[in-house]
Amino acid sequence: MFVRIVQSSEGSMLLSATVKTENWQFKYKEPEFKNKLIGENDITLHCVDHIYGVYDEKKKSLFGQLKKYPEKLIIYCKDLRVFTFCLRYTKEEEVKRIVSGIIHHSQTPKLLKRLFLFSYATAAPTNTDTQNQTVMFDAIKDWRDELERTKGNMKYKVVSVNEAYKVSEKLPLYFVVPMSLSEENILQYQGRGIPIWCWSCHNGASLLKMSAFPKEQEDSTSQMQKNFLDGVYRTINKPPYEVVKTDDLSNSLPSLQEIQTAYVRFKQLFLIDNSTDFWDSDVKWFSLLESTNWLEIVRRCLKKAIEVADYLEGQNTNVLLVEENASDLCCVVSSLVQVMMDSYYRTKLGFQSLIQKEWVIGGHCFLDRCNHLKQNDKEEAPVFLLFLDCVWQLVQQYPPAFEFTETYLTVLSDSLYIPIFSTFFFNSQHQKDTNMSGESHHAQSSHFRFLTVWDWSVQFEPKAQVLLNNPLYAEKPKLDKSQRKTTRCKHQRQLSLPLTQTKSSPKRGFFREETDHFIKNILGKRISKLINSSDELHNFTEFYDSWHCKPVDFHGLLLPHVEGPGIKVWAQRYLRWIPEAQLLGGGTVVTATKILDMMEEVQSLQKKMEEKHSQTVSQGREVLPVLRNSARLSSLFPFALLQRHSLKPVLPTSTWKDLEDEEDLAKRDDEFVDLGDVI
Amino acid sequence: MLPGSRTSFKIQPHGLAPVPKGPKSSDKRNRNSQAFPCIPGELVLEEAARVRKIVRSRGGEGSVLGTLYCTNLRVSFVPEPALSDTVGAPRHPTCPHNEHDVVLPCIRRLVAVNSFTKAKMLTASSTLKFIPEELVLYCRDFRVLRFRFHESGLEPRAFQVTMAIAQAQQSSGGRPGTWPYSTAIRNLENVWLRTEEASLLSSFPTLLFEGLCDWEKELRRLGAAGWRVSSVNERFDMATSLPKYLWVPSRLLDNELKRAFAHFNARRIPRLCWHHPGGSNLLRAAGFHVDSDPEKEDVRCVEALMLAGHTQCVVVETAADLPGPADIQLSYLKLWTLCLPDSSVAVADEKWLSALEGTRWLDHVRACLRKASEVATLLEEKTCSVVLQESDDRDLNCLLASLVQILSDPHTRTQAGFQSLLQKEWVVAGHPFLQRLNLLRDNDREESPVFLLFLDCVWQLLQQFPTSFEYTEAYLVALHDSSYIPFFSTFLFNCQWERDRRNQHRASNQIYASVNGWREPPPLEILQKGSCLAKEGRVPYLPTIWDWALRYTAPERAQFRNPAYTRGSNTGNAILNGNCAPPGEDKPEATLARNGAMYLFAKGALLLQTHLFPWKNGSLSKKGWRQAPSSESLSEQEWSLRSKPSSCLLQPDGLLCPVSLGPLIRLWRRCYLRGSSEVQRGLFAPTLAELANELDLLRERLGDGQAMGSPRVTRHGSREPQPGAPEGKRSPLSPSR
Repeated sequence: MFVRIVQSSEGSMLLSATVKTENWQFKYKEPEFKNKLIGENDITLHCVDHIYGVYDEKKKSLFGQLKKYPEKLIIYCKDLRVFTFCLRYTKEEEVKRIVSGIIHHSQTPKLLKRLFLFSYATAAPTNTDTQNQTVMFDAIKDWRDELERTKGNMKYKVVSVNEAYKVSEKLPLYFVVPMSLSEENILQYQGRGIPIWCWSCHNGASLLKMSAFPKEQEDSTSQMQKNFLDGVYRTINKPPYEVVKTDDLSNSLPSLQEIQTAYVRFKQLFLIDNSTDFWDSDVKWFSLLESTNWLEIVRRCLKKAIEVADYLEGQNTNVLLVEENASDLCCVVSSLVQVMMDSYYRTKLGFQSLIQKEWVIGGHCFLDRCNHLKQNDKEEAPVFLLFLDCVWQLVQQYPPAFEFTETYLTVLSDSLYIPIFSTFFFNSQHQKDTNMSGESHHAQSSHFRFLTVWDWSVQFEPKAQVLLNNPLYAEKPKLDKSQRKTTRCKHQRQLSLPLTQTKSSPKRGFFREETDHFIKNILGKRISKLINSSDELHNFTEFYDSWHCKPVDFHGLLLPHVEGPGIKVWAQRYLRWIPEAQLLGGGTVVTATKILDMMEEVQSLQKKMEEKHSQTVSQGREVLPVLRNSARLSSLFPFALLQRHSLKPVLPTSTWKDLEDEEDLAKRDDEFVDLGDVI
Repeated sequence: MLPGSRTSFKIQPHGLAPVPKGPKSSDKRNRNSQAFPCIPGELVLEEAARVRKIVRSRGGEGSVLGTLYCTNLRVSFVPEPALSDTVGAPRHPTCPHNEHDVVLPCIRRLVAVNSFTKAKMLTASSTLKFIPEELVLYCRDFRVLRFRFHESGLEPRAFQVTMAIAQAQQSSGGRPGTWPYSTAIRNLENVWLRTEEASLLSSFPTLLFEGLCDWEKELRRLGAAGWRVSSVNERFDMATSLPKYLWVPSRLLDNELKRAFAHFNARRIPRLCWHHPGGSNLLRAAGFHVDSDPEKEDVRCVEALMLAGHTQCVVVETAADLPGPADIQLSYLKLWTLCLPDSSVAVADEKWLSALEGTRWLDHVRACLRKASEVATLLEEKTCSVVLQESDDRDLNCLLASLVQILSDPHTRTQAGFQSLLQKEWVVAGHPFLQRLNLLRDNDREESPVFLLFLDCVWQLLQQFPTSFEYTEAYLVALHDSSYIPFFSTFLFNCQWERDRRNQHRASNQIYASVNGWREPPPLEILQKGSCLAKEGRVPYLPTIWDWALRYTAPERAQFRNPAYTRGSNTGNAILNGNCAPPGEDKPEATLARNGAMYLFAKGALLLQTHLFPWKNGSLSKKGWRQAPSSESLSEQEWSLRSKPSSCLLQPDGLLCPVSLGPLIRLWRRCYLRGSSEVQRGLFAPTLAELANELDLLRERLGDGQAMGSPRVTRHGSREPQPGAPEGKRSPLSPSR
């Protein structure tokens, strides 16, 4: 017997439910809503952020062995839900078991092999092969296709030196390097100092990333490394590669530590266990928000991405991103640049492929960064969330350019903590492979398969999946498929380019009146490159401004607004569990459903028209499809259920209300006693 | 840069304020008649050719070449035809709201810049001692227009045009009593009527509340059975600032009513604003007059007015939680400065949010919304009379009363209903628009954009409930902008009495002949559509702003309609028409006499008042009632939000419950940030409008097809096809599923 207190705007309501701990989640009754795996009241163990106990109105963080068990249990989740459980009416024995169970399973370090992932993969029924259209980038063919698609195959090649992870365990099995780079080079420093291809722009400029050498004490080593690097640079500076702009991200972007601190503070604004805090903070809301620095970090990432886009698109320059492991902010920036520049990555499949390419296969340490194993708190940093937040900024600024909705992003961010998908639970491809093969020795190997998060049908019914797609996506006009798709995109994208772009393509030749300007431009660039190769000059404003002067082409380059008012709070993700923020019959979701309804009606009417045209005889009486009276939704719709919360506005401060609550509680107490006897 | 710029030019400004009839300007006008699309009556005072308008302020690059005009109405910039051809769309000839024009009252600050001297702010009296290279107009509607003068021998021209603008801007106000635009307006109207006659008729029926029958019609709609329209103030002899007609309890005779006036400030007695179908009434009143004596006999009458047939009366002290006009003005100015797209005052991006917080504008918005939703809840929950009391009943009472109605009454969320609401609670009720908007610049101290604060509140509701409103953000922006255009009777007077007096005055001594051969007096039936003014025989010769067709083209007006608007399924309309009998109505009259209970509502708490009437404003010790509500007042409280859990399932349809939390009160970017590099995007992606159009089209066609064979099925009303609706087959909408 376990009691949960549900926060609602009326105060507290008690729900009775039974709780038992399972290996991966603890579950109540009331399986509701659309996520097939996790109900509204389920918390996966990986999603538990902090556990607090309330002793005599005082809140204490709970960990380790407890001497005394609390009256109330408060659980903060990583997806920003807050659960309050009242233990007063539960048997002490049970309290002990449940509380220590929760603490043990969610807070103590554990081994990778003990992840629920593995138990699920062995125990779950083998999935009939689902059609997965997302490019996984775990086969050499995927990389070849990608090179082909972006027209990078003239200058870059896929190498398979890392098969069996000879080069490095951090690198994927296959990756792409400049054509002229030799295999010995790659092998020499375990893949460090090697420019690895991310993406090619339509004009031939490419985005590369490179993991830097660690700072060495010994002069000789560092000298050798320097020579090696020089060699590499020489190789890639020769034609057919043009100028390379090197960008060391550790200098220009915040450190992981800063990101983590900012996020922790930011998160605190939305983790609310009593509503009065929230009322009080209204007046200071913006300065509180600003002091967390999270939006500023988002802004800096977006700015960096714009800068890189400027080099690639505006100045036709290759860009090489350098970071220690090339797997944190490198991933953020490079994937942001690709989302902004390549409309393919703004489709759902494209976006998923991109995450596969840059993050999953690219070697982002999800396991460490999400701290799934609770082994090392210092490694924790919400880098992937930062990326999703940046993408959200783009989505809300240019909704028609994206095939997916913000709900998709929110759901994706939640999937980070669902331990049945392998996608976000490994540090690298190598780690995944070894763990898989190790298991397969003594189990039936053929049945051992991990699920990927991209198979949305695992989580959602088709009806719920509709919410992930943007009905207003400005689809690219489909041409006959025989025509090369890429040439078409290229043409379109060029149309949307800012004027500066036309100047800087040296192959094209230029007109006389442009010459002076051009030379000045080139010289200036050279000089500035010489002067401040390390010091970052944010000189993208011209590019940025001129782009924003033009009408937006949703299939071309997209640059986000990064001014003060441009960056916003991802309201859906952060406010969705707060009953006080609920708008009955309001919020963006209302428009969205309205659109869906209209869409449906248009379709059915169109169909009817066609029918009518085909059969000349009129069918006679036929009633138009009745607009379904969709239920009154609230702004929190996909995430919080309507009936749970009060339907009324609340007069915030009235003393008499408290009195009444007491009374109510007492009444309910009786009920519970009864129930307890029955059970 | 210029060699001559150091010698200070001693050109005297034209001495007097520019006289429109000056020979110079008139012949200039003739000369430019082709080049500059003058409205008849509009005179070009000065012009300068080859001026560059800086298009973007941040980047600094990009400019349009053209001619700058200063007329007695506006500052206008006409781009060279070569460029404007590419821009395309022929503009509405008389719209003073296109991107290159700014009406004189809309200019807040005028600055001349020269590379040698500091920027100088210009007023009519200031003498300019240098040749301006650049002229910057800071507009009240958050635009900044920059004009750069060409460096080729046209310096005197630049000088003259600058001075002309400075003086014209100043002279647009300053002389109370004379109406500087009179000719211009008269003619404008003629032109408008001529060009837009057809579409004028199709605009929304707005009740102007100038005539008796509007009041009666609205009262019928509300279904307020115990109320009647009193014409006690028909000649404005009871109170000049009140409307001519008042809604008062039926049982009070005019004689009794008259005795109540003296008890209130400015004689603004409590009167009905809105009647809740559940029986509650919303009233508004001014504060009690200082000399009001509780011992007098006619206090009973005051009491009856306030209780309005209920046993409980809740007095809402409007000013208690809301900002005063001065606060509003202050924070609005801060907001204006913050949002100006002027790089010189720009705040660093990372400090922007706290700067926004520092303006406190959003705090004010939040306070208004919170208070309004509290009052709306009161009306919903109890059967009582709610009296909004503000000391002069002309500023925040207007705001609060109309916000509460928007929250509670779905009708006010239609365009017609909203316009009627504004007429009733603002225009006729005597919000001092002239002082508050300060269009004539006679008194800066009274300026305070209470109305704009209200529009912002409505916008917040609009973005929180995007499908509940028939109008769109574009409509609100248009309304916002219209408040700076000095043509409309709506915003040019402080109260209905002034408005009427002016109009009478005009009507008597200006039976004008047609100017420029336009038509004879404007047809009454057009000007007064929806109102019953015709029989009174007065000519409101200033148009109201509700004639949107005067200033906005059909495609622009199409944007006013919200394609996502859904009328509630079981609309409150049926209820509001009086189908459901209000429970409060049939109470025996005897009960209200002495046992009425009186509550004070402020800071979110109700407090029982021991003294019934009247207490004087401010005589209550503010600390006392807030911190220590006495125990008997608590026990008195049977009002509980949870008392009727079933009713709340029905209720949300009509009532909007806005959230006023920090993260959900947002900046009205499309209005305040329009000058910055923000791309002007519609509230809705064009596809939504397209979708709506296609739906209409399909419905219509299908309906036509069926009309032949079977009874025609029309569900959602046969809306007229949209003007912009593409004809023929179009099915590019392949939904991406």
